[in-house]
Amino acid sequence: MSGAAKYEADVLVVGAGGAGLRAALAAAEAGASVILANKGPVARSGVTLTAAGGLQAVLHPDDSPELYYEDIVRCGYGLADGDLARTLAAEAADRVRETERYGARLMRDAAGGYALGQFPGMARPRNVFVKGGGIGLAAALAAACRRQGNIRVVEDFFVTGLVKGGGAVAGAAGLDLKGGAPALLAAGATVLATGGCQWLWATNDCPAGTTGDGIVYAYRAGAELVDMEMVLFYPSVIVWPPSLAGAFVHYEFLAPDVLDGNVYDRAGKPVLPKPLPRRDEAMLFLARAIREGRGGPHGGLLWYVGDSPQAAANASRLNTLQYDYIRAHGVEPATDRIEVAPGAHYLLGGVHVDADGRTSVPGLFAAPECAGNFDGANRLAGNGLTATQVFGARAGLAARRWAAGSGARPDEAAVRAEFDRLAARLGGKGGTDVAALRNRLRAAAQEGAGVGRDAAGLGRLAQVAAEVRAEAAAARVPAAGVFNQQLVDVLELESMAEAAALVAGCALARTETRGHHVREDFPARDDANWLRHTTARRTADGPAFGSKPVRP
Amino acid sequence: MDEEQVITVRVYRYDPASDKAGRLEEHKVASAAPLSVMALLARVHELDATFCCRTATCFKGRCGSCLVRADGRDVFGCTTLVRPGETVTVEPHSRFAVIRDVVVDFERPLAAGTEAAE
Repeated sequence: MSGAAKYEADVLVVGAGGAGLRAALAAAEAGASVILANKGPVARSGVTLTAAGGLQAVLHPDDSPELYYEDIVRCGYGLADGDLARTLAAEAADRVRETERYGARLMRDAAGGYALGQFPGMARPRNVFVKGGGIGLAAALAAACRRQGNIRVVEDFFVTGLVKGGGAVAGAAGLDLKGGAPALLAAGATVLATGGCQWLWATNDCPAGTTGDGIVYAYRAGAELVDMEMVLFYPSVIVWPPSLAGAFVHYEFLAPDVLDGNVYDRAGKPVLPKPLPRRDEAMLFLARAIREGRGGPHGGLLWYVGDSPQAAANASRLNTLQYDYIRAHGVEPATDRIEVAPGAHYLLGGVHVDADGRTSVPGLFAAPECAGNFDGANRLAGNGLTATQVFGARAGLAARRWAAGSGARPDEAAVRAEFDRLAARLGGKGGTDVAALRNRLRAAAQEGAGVGRDAAGLGRLAQVAAEVRAEAAAARVPAAGVFNQQLVDVLELESMAEAAALVAGCALARTETRGHHVREDFPARDDANWLRHTTARRTADGPAFGSKPVRP
Repeated sequence: MDEEQVITVRVYRYDPASDKAGRLEEHKVASAAPLSVMALLARVHELDATFCCRTATCFKGRCGSCLVRADGRDVFGCTTLVRPGETVTVEPHSRFAVIRDVVVDFERPLAAGTEAAE
C-alpha cells in the first residue's frame, strides 16, 4: 500500500458526533487546522442522532453548579471522578447556551426563557431540549464545522488504528471508503470522539456503528481504560417486531401521572410494582422476569398503556418523531402491546481522561462517550449530550495546545506497520461468515454481561470473545475497491471482540453490585473495597486488569 | 420456503471498478413479519457480504442515512415497510451520486430530479 494518500493538520478529530464536532470547532476557533474524520456520513450516522435532545445545565435561578455536581455523584453511586463532575457542572451552562451560537435552537417557555424540565435525580429543573433532538444538535454543529475554513471534513473514512511518532500519538491511518484507498491522517494531536460499544449487546438502542473502535484503538496504543463493565441499560428497548428492533418506548411514560401503564409478562401479569421504581431498579425487574421464562415469544415483555384512562388523557405525549417512527412500522403505541427488553443504551466507562480529555498516552485525547469516568455507575438523563459539549470543547482546545508544542509526526515504520496490517486482511475470498460470528458474540454479551451478571456468564463471554477475535483476525476479505464494507465489518468485529474481553475482565474484577453493574453472585454494594475504578491496560501478555481510586 | 413467509428483494448492484452499468439482483429474505427497506438491505448484506448498503439509523425517520429508491420512488428506507409475500426493487436514491450498489455519496448531490424524498 505504498503511495497512500496523506492528509496533514494540527489536530485530528476522529468521530463527528456531538463531541467530535464540538472538539473540531474549539480547536479550529483557537487557530488550529483540523481534520474531522467520520466513518459514516456526517449528521447521518452516529449515536448523537438517537438522543432525545435533552441537555442538562445550571440555568434555573435556584440551581447551582454545586447542586448539579452533587446530583451527578449521587446518581453515579460515587464513581464519578470529582474533578470531571465539577467541570461538567460548572461549564454546562456556557456550553449549552453556546450551541445556539452554532445554530442549534433550545426550547423556550412562553416568557422567552429556557423551558426547563426536572427529571428524576435532579434537585432543580435543569433539562432543556434542543429543537430537532440529537439530529438538530448534530446538524447545526456539522453546518458550523463546514462553514469553518480551518476544518476539513472527511466523511465515510474508516480509521483503522492510531499511529505514533516518537512515543506520542501523531495521527491515524485508515481507509477512505469513497475512494477505496488507504490514507494517513497525520496530526500533532488526536482527539477520539468515537462513541461507545453498545452494539456488542444483542439488545441495544444504538446505531450499528457503535462497535467500540476508538476505545480499542486507544487501548492498543497503550491508553488506560476505566470501568468498562459500566454500561447503562435502558429498561424498554423494542425487540419485536423485527423492523423496530433497537427503537425504544419510554419507561418514564409508564408513571401514573403520564400514561400510567405497565410492562406485562406473557400471562398478562404486571411485572413492575407501583409506584414505579427507579430506572436501574426497573431493568432488574424486567431482566429477572425474562430469565424466569415469563417473556413473550420473542424474548421480551409487553409494554402497554392501552387500558389506562390516563393514557387517553395524555395521548399527546406520543405525538413525537420517535412515536411517529413506531407508527410507520404498523404499531400503534397508544393501544398495542409492544415487546421490550432491557438493552444497552450508553457506555459509562471508557478511556480514562483528565478534565482536558488527556489520556495516559501523549498526544491522545478522548471525549465522551468514548471517554469514561465523569458519570460513574449510572448517569442522569440529559448528561450525555451535555458532556459531549463540555468535554468536546475542552479536548479540542487542549489538543490544539498540545499540537502547537509537540511537532510530532508519524514514524514511517509505524505507518508502514498499520498499512501492512490492513493489506494483510485483503486478498481472501471472504469465506468467513462475519455476520454469524458477530451474532454469536452479541448473544454472549447479552447473556453474560447484560443486566444481572455472574462469574460463570462473564467467563463464557471472555471465552467467546477470544474465539471470535481469533476467527476475525484470521479472516481475509476481497480487495473490493470502493466502499469495502466487508473489510469494515471484519475490523469492527475485531474491535467488538476485543472490547468484549475488556468488558468481561472489568466486570469479573468488580466483585460487587453498583448502579448498572449487577453481580448476581455479589449482590451487595461494597464501598470498603470498590469505591474505585476498574482499569484495563494492554500488556504483551494481553489485558492487565486492576483498579485505582476515584479522583476527588 | 412458504411464499407468505418470504420477501423478495431486487437490489441494484454496481461496482464502478468493473461495471459499465448497474443491474438488479434478486434475493429472498425469510420473514414472517413486515420489514423496513433498511432492515431488508441489512439482511441482504448478511446473506451476501459483497452487497453494500448503509446500516446506521436515528430511529426517528429523520436523519436520511437510509435514503434509497424503492419501486421507483425516492424514500426513507427506515420507514418504508414491505410485507411477507411482497417484492420490492431497491436502487440508489436519485438525487445523489452512487458510490457502490445502493450506497450514495451525500456530499455529491445531483442536479434536481423529478421528485424529492417523501
